[in-house]
Amino acid sequence: MGMPIAHIMASGMTGIRAAGDLVARMQFDKNMRIGEAKDFVAKKLGVSTADLSDEYVMRELREELDIGVITSVPGCAKGIAAKMNIEKLLGIDINCCDKFREITG
Amino acid sequence: MATEYFLRMGDGQKIFMTKEDIRADIEAGSADAADLGDIPALTEDQMDKMLDIIISPGRIVGVEPGMEVPVTHDIGAIRIDGDQGNSGVGIPSSRLVGSMMHERAFGADTMELGHIDYSYKPVKPVISQECQTMEVCQQNMIIPMLYGAMPNMGLYYTPDGPFENPGDLMKAFKISEAQDSIFHAAEHGIRDMVWIMQRLQHVGCDGVNFDTIGAAGDGDMYASLNSIEALRKEFPGIYIEAGMAGELVLGMHGELEYDGTVLAGLWPHQQAPLIAKAGANVFGPVCNTNTSRTSAWNLGRSVTFMKAAVEASTIPCHVDMGMGVGGIPMLETPPIDAVTRASKAMVEIAGVDGI
Amino acid sequence: MSCKKDEVLAAVAKAKGKVPAVEIIDKGLAAGMNEVGVLFERGKLFLPHVMMAADAMSTGVAELEDEMAGSGASAKLGVIVNGTVEGDVHDIGKAIVSTMLQAAGFEVHDIGRDVPLQNFIDKIKETDADMVGLSALMTTTLQGQKEVVELLKENGLRDKVKVMVGGAPATDAWAKKIGADCYAENASEAVVKAKELLL
Repeated sequence: MGMPIAHIMASGMTGIRAAGDLVARMQFDKNMRIGEAKDFVAKKLGVSTADLSDEYVMRELREELDIGVITSVPGCAKGIAAKMNIEKLLGIDINCCDKFREITG
Repeated sequence: MATEYFLRMGDGQKIFMTKEDIRADIEAGSADAADLGDIPALTEDQMDKMLDIIISPGRIVGVEPGMEVPVTHDIGAIRIDGDQGNSGVGIPSSRLVGSMMHERAFGADTMELGHIDYSYKPVKPVISQECQTMEVCQQNMIIPMLYGAMPNMGLYYTPDGPFENPGDLMKAFKISEAQDSIFHAAEHGIRDMVWIMQRLQHVGCDGVNFDTIGAAGDGDMYASLNSIEALRKEFPGIYIEAGMAGELVLGMHGELEYDGTVLAGLWPHQQAPLIAKAGANVFGPVCNTNTSRTSAWNLGRSVTFMKAAVEASTIPCHVDMGMGVGGIPMLETPPIDAVTRASKAMVEIAGVDGI
Repeated sequence: MSCKKDEVLAAVAKAKGKVPAVEIIDKGLAAGMNEVGVLFERGKLFLPHVMMAADAMSTGVAELEDEMAGSGASAKLGVIVNGTVEGDVHDIGKAIVSTMLQAAGFEVHDIGRDVPLQNFIDKIKETDADMVGLSALMTTTLQGQKEVVELLKENGLRDKVKVMVGGAPATDAWAKKIGADCYAENASEAVVKAKELLL
C-alpha cells in the first residue's frame, strides 16, 4: 500500500482533494498532454495551473461548483450527480451519466 | 574519508556510496538505455539534477509545487482486499469500498475495477458480476473509473487454454507451428477482450486499462493493439489506457506486425506511436529494474528510456512505476525514500504526463 | 553469422578436415550462438531465430561427431534440469531460459511449470544432471526454490548439483539466503552463469 500513497504524496494531483480527477479526465477524454490538460482545466475553473493541486483553493471551489468533495459533506453532489456537474464544467460526456439519462428518460 | 550517501540496490537493500560513485552509476545506467534503444543519453544537467534528488537529505522528496501529475491507479482494489501473500494487504472489504478508499482516503486521480485473477480471459464467466460491481462503483465514485486486467495470452496456451504451448513447440523446433499457435491465441484473445469491454461499456464504465501488455511477447502486444483498435471504433468516447509489461516486446513469434511495423524488439519510444495509432488515450511505458544494480543506475536507465518515450508519444504517458519497474526496487514493500525519489525524477526529468 | 541451417552446415563442411572439430565448435558454432544470444537480448533477433540457430548448431555439431569421437573431446557442456516450481503456472520466461541454454549447447530437460518439488529431484537423478534451474514469478511461490535446495541436501545431491534461481521476485540476495549457487537476471545471464559454474 505504501507505494501508491508514496507516489500520490510525492507527485500526484491528489484526485478530488484538489483537481486531479479533472486533469486526468481531460487526458483520457481528449488525449491532452499534462500541460494542455492543466491549462484547460485551470481556465474552466478560473484559477492558475498551480492552484489545481492546492487543496486550500480547490476545496472551496469544488464545493461551490458542486463537483464532489473528499469529505462527506451533507447535501453535496456525490457519485453520478457530481459527475453530471463535471460534464457541464468541462464540456464533455461521461459514459455513466449518459446511461443515467437513458434510464431516467 | 569522502561523505557517503544512502541509496538502494534494485532489490531494496540499503547501501552507501560517494557522490562521485552515484553520479557514475547514473551515467552508466543512462548510457545502457541509450545504447539499447538508440536514444539520447541524459544531459550533464539532467544527470546532475538526478544526483541532487538521490542525495537529498530528507527521507521523502516531492516534485516542485505546480509540477504534480495525475497518478493513475492500476490493479484495482486488489491491493486492499487481496490476500494472496503478495502486495495485497488482505483487508476484508468489497471492491467498492476498496475503490472508494483510493478515491477518498488516498487521493488517487483515477481508479479501476479488477477481479482477483486480474486477467481478461477469466472475466468471461463472471461478466455479470463485473458489470454489476462496475455500475455500483460508477454510481458512487467521482474520479475516472476504468476496468483493468492483463491480456495474459499465456492463459490461451496448454495446459490452461486450447492452443498448443509455443514454448514447447519451439523447443521441438516446430517454429511455424509455434507461430500459428501464437497467432490463433491472439485472435481468440482479441475476441474475448472486446466482448468483455462491450458489456462493461454498456453499464457506464469509463473505459479500459490493458495492464502488462506484451507479458507473453509480441502475440500479446498484437492482441492488445487490435483490441484497442476495435474498441475505439465501436466506442469513440471510451477511455483507453495501454500499459506495458516490460521495456522490450519479446519476439516469441517474431513476425507479427501492426500498421506495417514488426512488433518484436520494440523499445518504449517505438511502442508509443503504435499505441497511439491503435487508439489509446494514455500510454504506460515500462523500464525494468535490475535487482543487481543500484537505484542510481536503475533510475538513470529508466528516466532515459521514459524521456525518449514521452518525446516520441503523441498521447499522454503515464509511466509504470510499480514494484520492480521505473527505477522502483523489486520488493513488495518498496522503501518510501526510493519510491519518492524515482517519482520526482520521472516527473521533473523525464517529463511524464502521469504515473 | 547466420541462423540458417543450410548456411551453417556449408560453413561446417568447408572447415571440416582443415580446422580441428573442437575449434569449429568453440570458435564457430558456439561463438555464433553467443552472438545470437546477445542480439536476442538486445531485441534484434527473436525466439524463432534463436531456435533456428540452435537447430543449425546441433546439426552442425552432429556433423563433427566422428572427429570428436576420435579426439576424445565432448561437445556437451552439461546437463540442466529446468522448471517453474510448484504453485506457479508461469511458463514463458522459464521456456526462454531453457531455449537459450539448449541453444548454447547444454542438454536441457525442461520439466514444465507448476512442477511438484520432488519431481526436480527425480529428474536430476534420472538424467544425472549437473545443474537445476528453478523459476518462480510470484513472491508467494519463491519459497519453493528454497525447498528444492533443502530437498537436494536431504537426498545427498547438493554438492553435486549446482542451483540457479530466477524469476521476477528472485534476487541475488535471495539466492545467497537460500544457499543457491547463482541468480540470473535474464536468459542470456543464465547462459553466462551456467557456463561459469559448469565449465
